[in-house]
Amino acid sequence: MIDALFNQPGYLGAKRMLDATVKRHEAIAANIANAETPHYKRVDLAPSFRAELQSALASQNAGQLASLRPQLAADPQALPVNRDGNTVNLEHELVELGQNTLQHAVETQLVNASLLKLRMAITGKSS
Amino acid sequence: MINLIPSLPRTTAALDAERTRLEVIAQNIANSNTTRGIDGRPYQRQQVVFETALQQAQAKDCNSATSPQPQVSRIQKDSRPGPTIYQPGHPDADANGMVQLPNVNIYEEMADMIVASRTYDANVAVFKNGRAMAMQALSIGKH
Repeated sequence: MIDALFNQPGYLGAKRMLDATVKRHEAIAANIANAETPHYKRVDLAPSFRAELQSALASQNAGQLASLRPQLAADPQALPVNRDGNTVNLEHELVELGQNTLQHAVETQLVNASLLKLRMAITGKSS
Repeated sequence: MINLIPSLPRTTAALDAERTRLEVIAQNIANSNTTRGIDGRPYQRQQVVFETALQQAQAKDCNSATSPQPQVSRIQKDSRPGPTIYQPGHPDADANGMVQLPNVNIYEEMADMIVASRTYDANVAVFKNGRAMAMQALSIGKH
């Protein structure tokens, strides 16, 4: 019964986005770590995740939202930056890294705001 | 132990590999004028070879195939011949007065060194960002 408190689509969506951001950080870390490894192909979030999250949010289906799991996949669009076949562009990855960290900050705020609203509803106090 | 920063093992492996590379470059530059090594021959330039290692621990993770760890697979000798110079008075000169110098190109080493230290910096940035994200995550639920 208490589960229903944490099953609102907005809160679940924010949680899944947070999961995706952490997964994305892992991908960028792997890319930067392998920036000098020959034949390494850069990885990123699987492109299908965005569509799945959008459709789940649109349908407001808590079960579908809860079962979403972000996955990593090799980026098919990345081109080799030098002759060893490595597709990691260091500057590009560092920009993505900074963006991703900011996005993580925003999403933590979202999750936090949802929890604060619940707390306010329970206690009747604003802080 | 809780894994607060999921990217940490890979970043550590990369930092380790880049440090090894820097050490090998330092060795090459230090020996750029060594005409007689342990084997009595001129010093031969060393180079690191990177490869990825799939960690057994991550094999259960369905994404393991796409996130390998970098590591130094071996340090191998560069077999290119070094330059020879005419210096008859040199202790290592041959009958014609030619001295075989090491095949270390100082400009090549400096360029490699800059790449290695930039990559090291980039991995440090990843760690700092990961730590910032972990701290943000810890603040969830605080008010």
